[in-house]
Amino acid sequence: MITKKDILHVAKLAKLKLTEEEIEKYLSQLSAVVEYISKLNELDTENTVPVSHITGLTTVTEEDTKENKRQLSQSSALQNAKSTKNGFIKVKAIFSGE
Amino acid sequence: MDLESLTIKDAIEGLKNKKTSIIDLVKSCFARIDKLNKKLNVFIELNEENAIKQAKAQDNDLVKAGKEIFNQKPLFGIPIAIKDLYSTENLRTTAGSNIINDYVPPFDATVVKKLKNAGAIILGKTNEDAWGHGSSGENSDHGPTKNPYDLERVPGGSSSGSAVAVRTNQCLMATGTDTGSSVRLPAAFCNLVGLKPTYGRVSRYGVIAMASSFDSVGHLTKTVYDSAKVLEITAGIDPYDATSVRKEVDHYTEFLEKPIKGLKVGIPKEYFVGGMDTKIEKLTREAIKIIEKLGAVIRDVSLPHTDYAMACYYILVPSEISSNLSKFDGIRYGSERETFGAEAKRRIILGTYTLSSGYYDAYYLKAAKVRSLIKQDFDNAFKDVDIIVAPTSPSLPFKIGEKANDPLQMYLSDIFVCPINIAGIPSLNVPCGFINNLPVGMQIIGPQFEERLLYQVGSAFESETQFYKVHPKI
Repeated sequence: MITKKDILHVAKLAKLKLTEEEIEKYLSQLSAVVEYISKLNELDTENTVPVSHITGLTTVTEEDTKENKRQLSQSSALQNAKSTKNGFIKVKAIFSGE
Repeated sequence: MDLESLTIKDAIEGLKNKKTSIIDLVKSCFARIDKLNKKLNVFIELNEENAIKQAKAQDNDLVKAGKEIFNQKPLFGIPIAIKDLYSTENLRTTAGSNIINDYVPPFDATVVKKLKNAGAIILGKTNEDAWGHGSSGENSDHGPTKNPYDLERVPGGSSSGSAVAVRTNQCLMATGTDTGSSVRLPAAFCNLVGLKPTYGRVSRYGVIAMASSFDSVGHLTKTVYDSAKVLEITAGIDPYDATSVRKEVDHYTEFLEKPIKGLKVGIPKEYFVGGMDTKIEKLTREAIKIIEKLGAVIRDVSLPHTDYAMACYYILVPSEISSNLSKFDGIRYGSERETFGAEAKRRIILGTYTLSSGYYDAYYLKAAKVRSLIKQDFDNAFKDVDIIVAPTSPSLPFKIGEKANDPLQMYLSDIFVCPINIAGIPSLNVPCGFINNLPVGMQIIGPQFEERLLYQVGSAFESETQFYKVHPKI
């Protein structure tokens, strides 16, 4: 059973601000979904190995090369940034001065 | 030449025989776009000026180089559209969402690069459910795309704009992505051929991620030949996508004329139980009879965990989504996270919940184990048969708004298609007829990396039925 407290906790983890209306809506909709997905408990998977990669690839490596033809220039890497300074993305400070 | 109902094959013949020019092809598509885009809401962004310039230059190159140019550039001069989830250099890419509504990628996705190198001309970016989250196209932050066979109905999603663009001759091929249904469902709802390749057969690099262990990079075309032709270009290893597979790419178009006599075709009994529109069941059974008449051997197979596939999918996929969408922080680029649409928020909350402390084992790990069981179902079935044939959708294209307030019902639209993504195998939607003038599709499903078998059977069925010639009256 999913509760309002769960929704608020998860929204905080996912950095989503929800309105009161959204909380109510997601609570009822996701309760139905969570109930539905719980049907997996009907299956015994005690001795089943989980899928880690569906085509079975393991430890993919590439040769080291000096050149990367598709490497972006600094300016194109920054072309969508809202604010830049000296070739870096500029963001608001997250720690206070103390 | 009738430019308004062309296939890629026809267009290449026309260019080789000088019956048409590249600029005429491109202009004919833009004329259709002008006429239909307002009505159908297909394109988010157009690339008209560049496309026209490129077409003129390529016409000159064609005169100089002659038709041998098609040996090096198999899609030379072919007008195509790209789903908005694909990064396109200096062409706005929003993933159908408002949160990156002003994002202009500095690079091309590998598939876009390959299509450009093959000579294709990009006309624009097509509408889609934002981030690929949806089965109807209604979750686009740019408004829903309409089904050209009935404007009140959905065209299927999430590659909604791509399907409608091809079906209404606004381009000759469009790319799509298929994480659970997103190429095959719109193909079924719009009378098209839609490929979901094997996971890892086509590079995902530069395609904005939805659920990384499921995302398959496919495309929509009118015919099986066109689909095979495009896969010959898009498939293959890419050092930029570590999940792409170092396995030789078949010459898919060479398998199209091969007879299917003696090929063993499995019919999964779990796909023909309650809940399906009875008319769709009847049509699918008639299609299977046609395949039998062509010489294939029909056998019943069982995929016993089918009933658990949706639950498995709706744990693993939202989990991966919540992780992938965490990079949209609104700090470096794009808008604040509150700008996410309702469906993206719903999936982020669900995925964060199933991954959160105390629930991981109960949900994510459990679902990853069930994923093994579902894959084993298919592995076992393919010991007895070469391919599997099944319906694509349990219902006809539904009305816009019909399922909008009931996400669980909307999710269940994918019931026949999402098990294929869980198993990482390929599936091809081919048109299999009409009910009340609405298209119905059928899936041809094969073992991993056996796309050639899908094309072989799809092509035999298509030659017999030719449903692709039934255009919407629009």
